[in-house]
Amino acid sequence: MSNTTEPLVQIGDVSRRDMLRTIALSVTVVAGQMKLEAAQHVHGRAQEEKKKSGTYKPKLFSEHEFQTLGRLAELIVPADSRSGSARDAGAPEFIDLLCSQNDELAATFTGGLSWLDAEMRQRYSATFVTARPEQQTAILDLLVEAGQLEQERKTKGETYEQSDHYKDFRRYGVHAPSDLGPGIVFFDWVRTMTVDAFYTSEIGIKDIDFRGNGSVSKYEVPKEVIDYAIKNSPFA
Amino acid sequence: MLDPVKEFKEHMWPYEVDHRGAEEGGAAYFGKGKSFGYFTTTSGGWQLEGEPYTVGDGSEFQWFRSRIIGGRTNHYGRMSFRFSDYDFRPYDRDGLGTNWPISYDDIAPYYDKAEAFIGVAGTKEGIRSAPDGVFHEPPPPKAHEILIKKACERLAIPCISNRRAVITRELNGRPPCHYCGQCGRGCLTASNYASSQVQIFPAMKTGKLKIIDMAMVREVLTDANGKVTGVLYIDKRTREEKQLRCRVVVLAASACESARILLNSKSKHFPNGLANGSGVVGRFLMDTVGFGLSGQVPALEGLPHYDTDGYGGAHLYMPWWLWEKHDKIGFPRGYHIEIGGGYGMPGIGSFHRHARKYGYGQKLKEGVRQEYGTTVGFAGRGEMIPNDHSYCEIDPTVVDKWGIPVLRFHFKWTDYEWKQARHMERTFAEIIETMGGKVIGLSAAERESQGISVPGTIIHEVGTVRMGASPKTSAVNGFCQAHDAKNLFICDGGPFVSNPDKNPTLTINALTWRSCDYLAEEMKKGNV
Repeated sequence: MSNTTEPLVQIGDVSRRDMLRTIALSVTVVAGQMKLEAAQHVHGRAQEEKKKSGTYKPKLFSEHEFQTLGRLAELIVPADSRSGSARDAGAPEFIDLLCSQNDELAATFTGGLSWLDAEMRQRYSATFVTARPEQQTAILDLLVEAGQLEQERKTKGETYEQSDHYKDFRRYGVHAPSDLGPGIVFFDWVRTMTVDAFYTSEIGIKDIDFRGNGSVSKYEVPKEVIDYAIKNSPFA
Repeated sequence: MLDPVKEFKEHMWPYEVDHRGAEEGGAAYFGKGKSFGYFTTTSGGWQLEGEPYTVGDGSEFQWFRSRIIGGRTNHYGRMSFRFSDYDFRPYDRDGLGTNWPISYDDIAPYYDKAEAFIGVAGTKEGIRSAPDGVFHEPPPPKAHEILIKKACERLAIPCISNRRAVITRELNGRPPCHYCGQCGRGCLTASNYASSQVQIFPAMKTGKLKIIDMAMVREVLTDANGKVTGVLYIDKRTREEKQLRCRVVVLAASACESARILLNSKSKHFPNGLANGSGVVGRFLMDTVGFGLSGQVPALEGLPHYDTDGYGGAHLYMPWWLWEKHDKIGFPRGYHIEIGGGYGMPGIGSFHRHARKYGYGQKLKEGVRQEYGTTVGFAGRGEMIPNDHSYCEIDPTVVDKWGIPVLRFHFKWTDYEWKQARHMERTFAEIIETMGGKVIGLSAAERESQGISVPGTIIHEVGTVRMGASPKTSAVNGFCQAHDAKNLFICDGGPFVSNPDKNPTLTINALTWRSCDYLAEEMKKGNV
């Protein structure tokens, strides 16, 4: 529908950037001899960035840990008819890279993954990756629900320290934090980074149908978009 | 030195870097990433290693410094609003603050020149709070902005084309905007204004400009008669002290850095620092009052997606509209409203809120699809009244790694600013609700901590070398020339007497042009 915005150049993004570099050189160095359109020929020669090939070797995680992150990634953002999963989008690689550069983050993930497997063994006598899919989602559901309850409890100030019972040792359990605390924290991290990895990937950017990052000589807003917005608004 | 071709990350996708913008070790997750994100072009930040500043007891202040040619103009928002006629006479209107020694008519021709040279897109509207200028044709409003405009019409708030320093036709060899919306990353085609690309690089091509980079100025030097003779600086590469002799010194180091240099320029003639016979240097520090609120708008759900990048930032804005109603609204001075919304390029953090809301799985994926691009945001930018508790001074005990005494900041918002911020909050909520949206509101606790911007964080700090007709109450005259030294000029936000809700860069450009004309004239006459 952005056919009303006439693309100046139909090129891959790396080559568009090359083109802009060329223009920039002309603007800042040769005092603007080169017109935007004149740079079009640059893209003709430019080639698509080569896709990285081969299998990825984790820098930090063990093969088992890496597989667990992969399974978590495809549960957090699953594949569907429109697009692939966060695993396809490189979430485990993204997490592995950043953790390999940051000890604090690495400890959060290796510790969290161990906690998860320990919890799974107790509940199902299996690790997270070897458990059945419904067992995997059961623990995630539990963590999500517990995480939301914890958030509400904190927002409302329902903590032992803030309660009337703080001098009554026997009532310590009244506002006790969730037993799943470490898992809640870990899941929030793995979800945060998985979601970031997915929506910053080519797959994720296509999934949400982002239309920008282009170059057009005239900016226009398609009429059908405006009509649609007004029709659904209080100003119809 | 800045090399746009090498350094600007315009048009890069997040997946072109392995860390996707989270930076090495996920620094962005720990608040240790680059200011304003990995892809923006700036070198600097709220804290610079080895170059500290301090904050007085009970105060809060953050000072953003760029260490790059062109300074903060490389990444700034490029909002370019003229001061109104009444902005130069604040004391006459409400008995607060101080009048400027110059009027709108004095500066208007220089606004014309500055706009024509840097290039500003906008429309003529005839609104007193937002005088018209010399404009390029602006791009049309986006879908969410059309709804905002309609809501504003119902609320009798003017909503007009934004005025940003972006060109939409060729200007001095600079190609027009190609609408990628990434001004903050630096523009490879120099289609937006940055002093590096629009003023300094072209000036270098004349062969008459010599730049000494990596030079940290410690003080302005004067001779036995009190005449300015040059500057003393530290060569950052060698940590050697060097001197530069010159006929005229023009400080444009940013308001607080210029104040620091002046306060550190002590001599027998100037025991309180240079240009500080009045004692006002460092005083009357002002930032802009900031407050933001967003809302989710169901009318934008299911909208056919389109390219909302545009010319960077919003295509519409709301200038102040109640300048005759201050008695009724209960606070002096106004604000303008900036708009956010549209389908931004996804980045680190774009969907954390959705992730927590939808849990995980197909529900999360669909929730993001449904809500992406359906929120609108409003940011108020308002005028503060200068007060006695907001100033900077030399910290008596701390020096930076070059041995230069550093600044200590003191800052307080007063009731005037808090009342204004609450008016912003009510207004933004009204706009959101009028367009059928739901406010993503603040809890009482959040309002206490986020109800008004942290001082300094809007990066509009001005006023510390203020201008005035009398040497007793001001540091420089109406031409930004020091009362105490005829061959010393301050050309940044320092000379501002007040800080109207108009982002300062355009006015700094206009004032500087006026000062330069005056300086050239005075040099010809042999007065300088």
